[in-house]
Amino acid sequence: MSENTQIAQSHQGANTRVEPNDARRRVTLSPAVDIVEDSHAVTLWADLPGVSKEKLDVRVHDGSLTIEAESVVPVPSTLQLSHAEVRVPYFSRQFNVSEDFDTSRIEAALKDGVLKLTIPRRDEAKPRRIEIKVG
Amino acid sequence: MGDLYSGTDLFTELDRLQRQMSSLFGGLPSSLRSSRFGTFPPINIGATDDTIEIVAFAPGVEPSKLDISVDKGLLTIAGERVTRPAKLPEGTRQYAQERFSGSFRRVIELPQQADPDKVQARYVDGCLLISVGKREASKPRAITVQ
Repeated sequence: MSENTQIAQSHQGANTRVEPNDARRRVTLSPAVDIVEDSHAVTLWADLPGVSKEKLDVRVHDGSLTIEAESVVPVPSTLQLSHAEVRVPYFSRQFNVSEDFDTSRIEAALKDGVLKLTIPRRDEAKPRRIEIKVG
Repeated sequence: MGDLYSGTDLFTELDRLQRQMSSLFGGLPSSLRSSRFGTFPPINIGATDDTIEIVAFAPGVEPSKLDISVDKGLLTIAGERVTRPAKLPEGTRQYAQERFSGSFRRVIELPQQADPDKVQARYVDGCLLISVGKREASKPRAITVQ
């Protein structure tokens, strides 16, 4: 009996260690994006259908911007799927953000399943016209 | 030295997988009215005992620009999605343009038992949810053995 318990415990321990790995490896869709830049900021739009504010996670860490989201579509629980073009409810995409952007002032807005991110350029990184003196 | 060969193996494996996938999807007959993957909006279809549920993943569409109609057993979802101004302001650079832009139309063949008078549609978080009722006669019934 006691031996059995021990096996179960060590098994559980192994499971909890595996879980975070599984989450990282889970199949995700890469959302379609539009990206434009002007002299002030980079603006990014991402298609995230079925994603609510609560299920969206935007993070900046060590120069990389991560968008992670889960799509929740309110359908009856007894639904039997017969045709599926979207097979996974998870979105994930990562971008590198260079030093000349001010990641502390990123603005994010979500409307009708579209995320809009505005990433401002640092003041010192904004383009400047350099005067040329005629000697 | 071993690494070089195992690398080649991986590519062969991926190549084989890709060929297998395309033959899998390419070999299946598809409806005349529905094209293959990659059209906008992608659609999932399912059914409950009482309804047929259609979900169109169409983020960023003005609900007023969505047109849903049922005619002779065909459900049509049409609309227009505007993702950007016609002309970008000067000094703006575009780096990525992956999102669908323009007008779209998707047609779904409804099964025989669908009732065109019982169609409901709502737009939530960029998903268009359409629920089509089934005719009474087609609902599953338990048959009592006499």
